[in-house]
Amino acid sequence: MASKYCFVTVGATASFHDLTKAVLSPPFLQALQAHSYTDLVIQYGNDGKQTYDSAVAAAGSNGINISGFELDKAGLGRYMRQAKGSGKEVQEGVVISHAGSGSILDALRAQIPIIVVPNSQLLDNHQVELAEALAEQEYVVHGWLEDLAKALQDAEQLRRRQREWPPANSGVHRQAKEVGLRGILDEEMGFLD
Amino acid sequence: MAFILTTLLLLTLLTLPALLYRLTLILTPSRNKPLRHGRRNPNEPTHLLIILGSGGHTAEMLAMLTRAVTSPDPAQKLNWKDYHHRTWVISEGDSISAERAKEFEEMATPLSTQEDLMAGKVKRATDIGPGGYEIVTVPRAREIHQPLLTAPVSSFKCLRACRELLMKHTTDTRDGHAAMAGEVDFPDLILCNGPATATILVLASVLLRFFDVRGCSTRGKMRTVYVESWARVKRLSLSGRLLSRVVDRFLVQWPQLAKEAVGRIEYRGVLV
Repeated sequence: MASKYCFVTVGATASFHDLTKAVLSPPFLQALQAHSYTDLVIQYGNDGKQTYDSAVAAAGSNGINISGFELDKAGLGRYMRQAKGSGKEVQEGVVISHAGSGSILDALRAQIPIIVVPNSQLLDNHQVELAEALAEQEYVVHGWLEDLAKALQDAEQLRRRQREWPPANSGVHRQAKEVGLRGILDEEMGFLD
Repeated sequence: MAFILTTLLLLTLLTLPALLYRLTLILTPSRNKPLRHGRRNPNEPTHLLIILGSGGHTAEMLAMLTRAVTSPDPAQKLNWKDYHHRTWVISEGDSISAERAKEFEEMATPLSTQEDLMAGKVKRATDIGPGGYEIVTVPRAREIHQPLLTAPVSSFKCLRACRELLMKHTTDTRDGHAAMAGEVDFPDLILCNGPATATILVLASVLLRFFDVRGCSTRGKMRTVYVESWARVKRLSLSGRLLSRVVDRFLVQWPQLAKEAVGRIEYRGVLV
């Protein structure tokens, strides 16, 4: 059977223990199995080891290979590629993110279905806005901690109509306005050519 | 006593308008831009300064730059060699951002299109090549768990470091050009998003321009481009609100945010 990865990232600065717990809860692990996932990889953050260890112990054996790590200085690219899969051997899986813009962008660029779960305990919660706006445009699935199994289902739907990032320019009239970063820097530099 | 107070008051009243006038002069985006003759003219070496923050800020900055230098559309493709010298500013202890900057430089500098190669043949004499980059560390404006009380002290330390790094490269000028070909001058452009370090560095650049240190204001140096975080959909960030009337360009990445009529806000499409 081909393997299929679910990669979970809780972010580097403010660890999101509730997400670690939620993806190791029995209902979610069952949902993973139901969607023929074989592997669950969790980046649990600086102080998340304890939460991770106890949740893994509580989950017991369940047919899913669970692995975790604190943080990877080399970036998450490796894990994203793993989740993207490579055709026959490894099927395309899913990324579950704490709604940090870096991981969302990585997944969108690589066109891996992504479930975005904002941390509602953070004070300045603009990440919810990002999750909502992106879910509305059907770039991501907006997931809730209470029902991640449902989000996994939605991710399968998203897989079928994954949109590409950066968004393609539509219409000629818009191109005049969208000059990209280069256009803006050129204007400021005053290059004559 | 009353006499001294009145004199002080009068002096303030007299000098305040002058100071404010000076501020409006240097803060208007229509302040003069230098005339440039070609993108890679050895007499006008360009200097780009990029500020990285931790986590999301660094990720977004590099996503935006990577998208620009790898764009398939030639009109939008940023040629990294157009910027002869690049200064990357990172906060103390943020080795991850330093690593990312290095990776980006190694990826972006060798990128060259056929067009560049052709141009190289014709314009070799006036092309100063890929130039170089440096990564500069400044003390943090505020540690994550630092009490607010000591924040002014650490912010001041950060400000002093920013001033030093902005002054690191300056040149004597001749007819508005660097006196020596290829010599690195003040940054021409400061590119940033929302970390606290960015706010302080922009403030440092405003101070230098206020006093026209080494002619930086007259020569139109240190124009500032601020890109609001892509994660800001409905409300501006604190840095954004602070800088919206100070930077030359203030870009947001969601059209609904541009409707907030704040400062120099503009929406030119998503940039990350």
